Amino acid sequence: MDSALDRAADLLAQARLPVFGGLFTDVNGAAAALALAQKLGGVIDHAASSGTSKAARVMRETGSTPASLGEVRNRADTVVLIGDGPRERDSKLLEKLFPAKSLPRPGDNKRELIVIRAKKGKTPKGVRTMELDGKHALPDLVALLGAAARELPFEVRDAALAKKVLSAGKRLRESAFVVFVYDPAELEEPVLHTVLETVRHLVKSTRAATLSMSAPGNGDGVNLCSIWTCGLPMRTSFAGGAPENNMWAFEAERLLKSGEADALVWIDALDGAEASPPTRAFRGIPAVVLSSKPVKAGRDDVVIEVGAAAADHDAEIYLPPIAGIGVVKASSGASKKPTVADVLKEIGALIDKKGAA
Amino acid sequence: MLVQLKGGRVIDPANNRDAVGDVYVENGRIVEKPAGRKPDEVHDVSGKIVMAGAIDVHSHIAGTNVTLGRQLMPELPLIAAAEGQPILPSTAAWGAYATGLRYAEMGYTTVIEPAMIPTHAIQAHKEMASIPVIDVAGLVVLGNDDYTLNLLRKGKAKSDELKDYVAWTLAHSKALGLKVINAGGSEAFKFNARTFDLDEEVPEYGVTSRGIVEAMQKVVADLGVPHPPHVHTNNLGIAGNVETAVATLEATQGHPIHLAHIQFYGYGNEGDKGFSSGAPALMEAINKHKNATVDVGQVLFGQTVTISGDILRQFDGRRAANPKKWVINQAEGNGTGVVPYNYKRKSFVNALQWAIGLEIFLLADDLWRVLFSTDHPNGALFTRYPEIFHLLMDRDERARWFDSLPEASRQVSGLAGISRELTLSELAIITRAAPAKVLGMTDRGHLAPGAVADVAVYTDQKNKTKMFAAADLVFKSGNVVVRKGTVVDVTWGHCFHVDPGFDSQINKRVCSFYDTYYGADPSWFGVTETVSDHPDRFATIRCAS
Ligand SMILES: [Zn+2]
Repeated sequence: MDSALDRAADLLAQARLPVFGGLFTDVNGAAAALALAQKLGGVIDHAASSGTSKAARVMRETGSTPASLGEVRNRADTVVLIGDGPRERDSKLLEKLFPAKSLPRPGDNKRELIVIRAKKGKTPKGVRTMELDGKHALPDLVALLGAAARELPFEVRDAALAKKVLSAGKRLRESAFVVFVYDPAELEEPVLHTVLETVRHLVKSTRAATLSMSAPGNGDGVNLCSIWTCGLPMRTSFAGGAPENNMWAFEAERLLKSGEADALVWIDALDGAEASPPTRAFRGIPAVVLSSKPVKAGRDDVVIEVGAAAADHDAEIYLPPIAGIGVVKASSGASKKPTVADVLKEIGALIDKKGAA
Repeated sequence: MLVQLKGGRVIDPANNRDAVGDVYVENGRIVEKPAGRKPDEVHDVSGKIVMAGAIDVHSHIAGTNVTLGRQLMPELPLIAAAEGQPILPSTAAWGAYATGLRYAEMGYTTVIEPAMIPTHAIQAHKEMASIPVIDVAGLVVLGNDDYTLNLLRKGKAKSDELKDYVAWTLAHSKALGLKVINAGGSEAFKFNARTFDLDEEVPEYGVTSRGIVEAMQKVVADLGVPHPPHVHTNNLGIAGNVETAVATLEATQGHPIHLAHIQFYGYGNEGDKGFSSGAPALMEAINKHKNATVDVGQVLFGQTVTISGDILRQFDGRRAANPKKWVINQAEGNGTGVVPYNYKRKSFVNALQWAIGLEIFLLADDLWRVLFSTDHPNGALFTRYPEIFHLLMDRDERARWFDSLPEASRQVSGLAGISRELTLSELAIITRAAPAKVLGMTDRGHLAPGAVADVAVYTDQKNKTKMFAAADLVFKSGNVVVRKGTVVDVTWGHCFHVDPGFDSQINKRVCSFYDTYYGADPSWFGVTETVSDHPDRFATIRCAS
């Protein structure tokens, strides 16, 4: 173990641009990764950052209108489910969004579900459901609904669809609390903008919001930790001293493929989730792998076994039911395995020691 | 090790001290001059000003809402720096780490985060634990949450259970006290109300804003929590709202209350523009209600971002967003609004807001009850405090600023007629002694033996901006952490909280509530010692009962 840490410290101390990827870890692990990336002038990126990165950019440009899961399930009278992403992220999502019992809700409407371009699935009992699909692609359908909500004219050949879209638009205007549910990983930025614009129009006369599915692998918790640490989300580089964020330039996979990165720290240590390593990542670029699972690594890679957060040790991670960071107790009792934070701090200390020597 | 700060002018209003003399420090505490012992270390501070470390009673430095602000406005430090504000042009400048360093450099050693969300207390504590040097504490927000409102439901109020629930929440989130933000207003917003007054009823629950605040005052007093309810009242920022503030004060009926960022309630509705200074009327009421303390929420010109759990007010304020982007976050309890704002010297309203804040300080009979704040970052970034100290202590500086304001603002402002200049002792009251007293943190804010050795040393000079921007020397718990305005030792402070007792039955009830309505388990958001890996992170402030 100690020699592995030594080798890891040597490898990273010599790196020109180390990338911290995977990052399937708890908040403590993320904080330690950020500290080490800052020390080494490296880059941080989470393996499931495609959604959070798009959302971050849209927010920075024009803002956001989030609602917590709790507010949606207790108070929304109209839920607009966009795409397949949300139910792929959480197969029980609709049960959660339409519970049997809820807190006092605004308005007198019966609850209603509008599904845009998604596979047929079980819909909650007693909830009227409308499906918008036909031959149109998802972005078109979202734009059509947005236009209908704003009472803007639009033309579609599919008369049945046009009728449904108009009726859905009317429903949105007459709702007491409309919530658009989506997975930002599934949608392109223009669609996110269209949804946001629709919400901003609706709030002039009623309540509306968005519910964005959280990223796998504690992607939201790691992202938040990065923001309170350096002011910026995932895909941030510390190479120039001051942190710099760029969703394209500092994507881990791109940096590895292009050869700009010359070392990889790959972290995959969260119970019940698996970060699939970047293709070819373990070939060619020397890697330090912190994993709670068996790893197929290259001969020169340094592999360090760590505990799985939330199984081997208590873990602070993003929990959708509270729309924030909460603590999950270790499921398998006390373990002697080190945490990601332990290992990264140790590597940082070794690098300091070597630097001083 | 015995340390002597030798020959400085010691300003310690809590002990009626303003004289040249020595201060001794040993084992992290202020000590009496020990007879017959030579100090191990002597700092010659002759010609300098020696004060206790400063305490910020209301500054948004951590938690979900602040981090939402960072997400919306990563460019804030860059814009502010480009405008000449004293902040590093890096997004990291408003990260947790830089926050601790910058506060320490100005001689601040304790800062209170005033809006922890109960379900997100872990994030607030994680963030606070990443802020070096300073001690911190959080106030937890209740009053718009359905559990509380259900207990206050008209005609069926269950005040014993409310007492247990508040105590449980304070303990569960490791908070120092209770914050109430636009009581009932955020809940009303959920039912599509867009304004909410002191005597309006919360839909479905029937309880009024006044009723919520009164109930919380009683509960906090019964629990013996030293810090009274920290209240952000209704109608923030609206012309004519001085009436609401005065009515809120009247409603307190002699029970202790702390009213936050009172400048934002100091507005009359007179004159051609329907906006005028309500400071004289407000201060008359504050001077009279000796049970009440306030912090000011001073405004300075320049770019900032407003972050508030008053979602109703922020929703309305979104139209003034500059740059044009905003966040409305609808969540359990209050939710949040984040709206970037640029206070303009040339704006009639902004200029008057600036003047009203200063009037409030300068019209105070009793500065022990009128505490310093900018409601960071809402009125101004905390990095700008020294400019405000300068304005309060130097009427020429004030006149210089005043003369640059729009004619219309100058005509209706009473500021020019006030010649008062705060003394160093008075400044020490509003930035040290009074915050400590109001928070119940008896071991700080002063320099009597036994106090924690948080000490700031400044070079006395006419330019107070310069003087307070960079302390010569700062001791935190007896360690030198700042020299010549730069942090030389990155230490880690404590987090203070109260631990009132409660009937354990409340645990079951709260669990059942969260399970039914949120599919969540309250243990997920309970704060424990392990939230930080610094040893002895938490320290308890004793409740009276
Ligand atoms: Zn505030």
